[in-house]
Amino acid sequence: MDKKEAVKFIAYLVTSARGCIEEPKIYGSFRLVDSAGKFYGALKKHGLIDDRDIDEIISMIDEKKYSCMFDEQEFIGMLDRVVDRLVDVTVSMEKSE
Amino acid sequence: MAKEDSVLNLIKKRRSVRNYSEKKVSRNLFEELIEGAIWAPTGSNIQPWYFGIVDDEDMLERVINFSPGLLGSPPGIIVLCSDRKRAQEKGGELGRDLLCIMDISMAAQNIMLMATEKGLATCCVKSFNQKAINKLLGLPEHVQAELIISVGYTVKEPPRPSRRSKEEVSFFNKWSEADG
Repeated sequence: MDKKEAVKFIAYLVTSARGCIEEPKIYGSFRLVDSAGKFYGALKKHGLIDDRDIDEIISMIDEKKYSCMFDEQEFIGMLDRVVDRLVDVTVSMEKSE
Repeated sequence: MAKEDSVLNLIKKRRSVRNYSEKKVSRNLFEELIEGAIWAPTGSNIQPWYFGIVDDEDMLERVINFSPGLLGSPPGIIVLCSDRKRAQEKGGELGRDLLCIMDISMAAQNIMLMATEKGLATCCVKSFNQKAINKLLGLPEHVQAELIISVGYTVKEPPRPSRRSKEEVSFFNKWSEADG
């Protein structure tokens, strides 16, 4: 990862941190899951990881993340499903260790 | 005017788009959008606005870095700026604190409707760091970025959102118990 990419990601996080003080509450949640996608994207781009389970989780996020703008329940439902899937992935990782 | 071009149809057709193709928007088209913007209503004809078009890739990337609400990698944006000094000189405190924002909002709607008519997609964005954007664009102290509109060609149009009905949100002459 070069400096430009790192600055881009950090700027997104810090600008979001500052903005979320005044913005609608749900924007904070959106920024966090969006950052999860950006983080994984960066790791994958630089060949540090390429995992089907995580691909699936990020797809689940990307498919519904914008619903926070117009259907809060749909957005929350997605987060709950992603958390549930992450639990499954976590457990399966421990079993295979 | 064909029915599909009616004002109401354009209003209903407009969407907040957060996915764009790489296809660039021509400067001619941007200029047409600004032509629509400057004819928005403006209190006391103050016209307290400036419109910054960003279509340079490097500048766009810098603006996006500090605009978490700018999503979908748009090929261009319009930054709607207020001139609070002009607004105050001509409109006093009301002009400075409220009217200029109302005027810019109405100009934004003109831009978005013009864009819709021309097959362009837009999204109005307030989630950006104002100080960072002012600095990046080199704006003088009395001019501030108030709103950003992403502009481009969409890959996939979002679904129509729900709206409270006109019956629910309007009343004639006087509010009554029935109006909620």
